[in-house]
Amino acid sequence: MRALGRAAALVAAGATIAGCAGGPGGGGSGEKISDGKVVLAVLNDQSAIYADLSGKSSVTAVQMAVDDYKARYGGKAVVKDIEVVSADHQNKPEVANSKAQELYDRQKADVILDVPSSAAALAVAGVAKGKKKIFMDIGAATTELEGAQCNKYTFHYGYNTWMLAHGTGATVTEDGSKNWYIVYPDYAFGQDMQKNFTAAVKDAGGTVIQADPAPFPNDNFSTFLLKAPGLDPKPQVLGTMQAGGDLVNLVKQYNEYKLRDKGIGLAVGLMFITDIHSLGPDALAGTKFTDAWYWNATPENRAWADKFQAKAGKRPSFPNAANYSAATQYLEAVQRAGTDGADAVVGQLEGHTFEDVFAKNATIRAQDHLLTHDVSLAQVKPSSEVTEPWDYEKVLKPIPADKAFQPASPACKL
Amino acid sequence: MIASRPAARPLLLATGLLLALALPWMVYPPVALDIACWALFAAALDLLLGFTGLLSFGHAAFWGTSAYVAGLIALRSGLPFPVAVLGGAASAALLALPIGYLSVRLRGIYFAMVTLAFAQMVYFVVNQWRGLTGGENGLQGVPRELFGLDLSDSFLFYYAGLPLVLLGFLAVWRIVRSPFGRVLASIRDNPARAQALGYPVDRYRLLAFVLSAALSGLAGGLFAVGHGFASLENVYWTTSGQVVMMVVLGGIGTLWGGVLGAALVVLLNDYLVTSGFEGIGIVTGAIFVIIVLVFRRGVWGTARDLVRPRSGGGRRDRPPGEADGTPARPQGVGSPV
Repeated sequence: MRALGRAAALVAAGATIAGCAGGPGGGGSGEKISDGKVVLAVLNDQSAIYADLSGKSSVTAVQMAVDDYKARYGGKAVVKDIEVVSADHQNKPEVANSKAQELYDRQKADVILDVPSSAAALAVAGVAKGKKKIFMDIGAATTELEGAQCNKYTFHYGYNTWMLAHGTGATVTEDGSKNWYIVYPDYAFGQDMQKNFTAAVKDAGGTVIQADPAPFPNDNFSTFLLKAPGLDPKPQVLGTMQAGGDLVNLVKQYNEYKLRDKGIGLAVGLMFITDIHSLGPDALAGTKFTDAWYWNATPENRAWADKFQAKAGKRPSFPNAANYSAATQYLEAVQRAGTDGADAVVGQLEGHTFEDVFAKNATIRAQDHLLTHDVSLAQVKPSSEVTEPWDYEKVLKPIPADKAFQPASPACKL
Repeated sequence: MIASRPAARPLLLATGLLLALALPWMVYPPVALDIACWALFAAALDLLLGFTGLLSFGHAAFWGTSAYVAGLIALRSGLPFPVAVLGGAASAALLALPIGYLSVRLRGIYFAMVTLAFAQMVYFVVNQWRGLTGGENGLQGVPRELFGLDLSDSFLFYYAGLPLVLLGFLAVWRIVRSPFGRVLASIRDNPARAQALGYPVDRYRLLAFVLSAALSGLAGGLFAVGHGFASLENVYWTTSGQVVMMVVLGGIGTLWGGVLGAALVVLLNDYLVTSGFEGIGIVTGAIFVIIVLVFRRGVWGTARDLVRPRSGGGRRDRPPGEADGTPARPQGVGSPV
């Protein structure tokens, strides 16, 4: 119908550009729930490198949030008709950009969730801003989302580079490992992490003896690993900012060179439970890292993980739980606002404090739309202590929300 | 062109133009713009691959450089977007000069490898130069404006950008049909003979390389402005691979085959992204293998051969051009005029 309308408009206006400006924009009607339903769209990587840690299983998690919302409110629910749609951006920013537009325009999505990797997330944030529709990013780590590139309709949910670096850097240093040797991949994420990590270590009273950039991607880390024990003073801990395949290679070689036996511990900047699962716990045993959420940390988490496993066939990663939480908080905001109009929902989300299975002591900061919540420093168990599948982590200590995330950046002007 | 009868030619051109105008009604507007940009990119590559006989595996360097330059111009100077896109195309041509100068003297696989290596160098520069390019965050928030008119609606932007694409196609078409294009064809078919006839082969190749890069840049700049950002993906080698795949799918040396290939690949990808099917690579890969095995001349080339089974008359088309060093198919003479 719309295409027809547009065609008519174009003919009428003699192909003048102004003639069809009203076409795709539209939608400013007075109805409380646009199109009579709420559509949650999960846009993430379902076939490339991030498929494992979020991907389709996060679509399942979002569907669970919808089911739980319906069960919670029953007849009192503001929205009866809720749909979950998904698309695979294959980790390509251009695809994410086009698909986000299509999800908002064609599929009538009211919110887009997940969107891993920074370029794709920032591209979708731009679309959300232009279309005045809500976007809650979970998968990307970049602090740009709540920094210079922040906007009124974009929320950053779960974790970021600052939290990863400060969580691990400060806590491990305070626990007595003062001397660090840092290896980081030489691109924006790695450089950011290295900067944040060094600052965190210094603030906690430690020293970074040396920080070396490694090519990215890279499969041979022997230069760095052989060098580590010879540094003066000898580092007590090797901090690696590598992720994904690079992390796997580095850890394997770290084990081959038996650096742990030489008194050099391992701390990892960014690690997901799926990384431990693919490497096996023994390869990583003893490694410390910051985790946004762990499925077996509390009975509440575990109960939710059981429900998740029944549907998805595996234990949830933290992005899975964060997707569930973001979808829940979105629907709750719609419930409070009584409408799915984006501005009203943003108003309900801003400054909201809450607790749910993923986020404890949580606030959606009004200044920059970053979710702050309690996270924890975790350690990988050796296989001798693993009692069941996916039981890989020991929570060492909690990091409270106000220490876990950076203060709001002045660069962000909503 | 499919038909040799001159009467059919304007008809086909009119159909093509009509299709180009109607595209955003038939497919989702941002996808329509993707098709237009990739189609021009494929035609630009075909200028080199099909009409000069050089397989470049580094065209992402030109597409991507122009994407970043056009994005930076639009972002920093606020000039209207066609200026930004043309600036991007100029930067791609400029970059192609030294790269082309150093690589056109190589043949076949060596040429492909050297262009790939240069493209990777460009990729690393873009990745490392974070202050300017934003590293892997990409260059975000490129405005889409024309003299104060907001073109952020993709439907409008398609029509605003289409003249640039058509301009690009006109250029390719003119180049191929010009005396210069005929010299390129002779160089492709028999470089030694062209040399013997007194044509400076390497200089002709260099000029073709630069022209192809400029047109790729035109497409890449428009693509970046259309999406509102430039990202590392634009300069990554997979982009070079994708455009070669489009040309091969459509038919090397057919010019319009690349357009068809681009449309096929973009639409297929767009469909698969929301299909919920995980093995996107498997599907596109399988289709590619089938087409290469069954339709050796690509979709367009095969269709053309069906329409005009054996041209015995005045116009003789040679089979698609081959890069040196790969097994040659039976060679004809003349160029696809």
